[in-house]
Amino acid sequence: MKRHLPYSTPEGYFQDLQQRLADIPGKKQATTFQKFSPYLALAAVFAVAVVVGNVIINRTAAPAAASAREVVEYLMDSDLTLSQLEDAIFYSD
Amino acid sequence: MELEETFKQIVSDYSEQLYWHVRGIVGDHDDTDDLLQDIFMKIWRALPGFRGESGLFTWVWRIATNEALGYLRKKKVRAALQFQSLDAKAERVIDNDPYFNGDAAQRELAKAIAKLPEKQRAVFSMRYFEDLNYEQISEITGTSVGALKASYYHATQKIKERLNLSDGFESK
Repeated sequence: MKRHLPYSTPEGYFQDLQQRLADIPGKKQATTFQKFSPYLALAAVFAVAVVVGNVIINRTAAPAAASAREVVEYLMDSDLTLSQLEDAIFYSD
Repeated sequence: MELEETFKQIVSDYSEQLYWHVRGIVGDHDDTDDLLQDIFMKIWRALPGFRGESGLFTWVWRIATNEALGYLRKKKVRAALQFQSLDAKAERVIDNDPYFNGDAAQRELAKAIAKLPEKQRAVFSMRYFEDLNYEQISEITGTSVGALKASYYHATQKIKERLNLSDGFESK
């Protein structure tokens, strides 16, 4: 014996349902781009935020400190005397 | 044009029966209505590739069952993320459902069914309410007959426990 679900539907529901379902072939289906455009927009906003943030950080950050080798090479190329070089190396912090 | 005619024939032949199939699995009228749109959209898109290896009924029911189970899985994940109990929510939905027209015993049965794991719920509904045989359900779900019998048995045991029934509840 087939048992029935204890549910009902709104008045005239199946007529309306059949009409809506029969209209499906005429509906314009969303393209892949349309389906993913919200995600693409979100990704674009994120990318722009990363680029802008990077530019701001690079422009406002203090220049990187020169390495010891670079300082020594700079001083060696300068016209300083040996005593001035010693002072520059040993008394610099 | 021929495809459109076939599609309209499927709508005409199966939409009402398919409504009850999906409603048996998900329970709620509005959810069923939304799902039917998605299901028939999928049927329309997949129709050119239908080769008839399985019967039309099996093919349509397979699409609908997969869609309904997918919906229930998503619902479960959403509830888990919000730390909500789906069982308590299902009881509230059944208690407040304006389209529930059963008696008190049927209400308790509906609540017990709503608490079953989604696959057991689908198998139970197809066997108990739609009266499909195990071979048909096997073709629809791609599950062996033995596994389906076990699934149905476990479902009826859980329902009996929840309804405090001993042997008054018929299993098939």
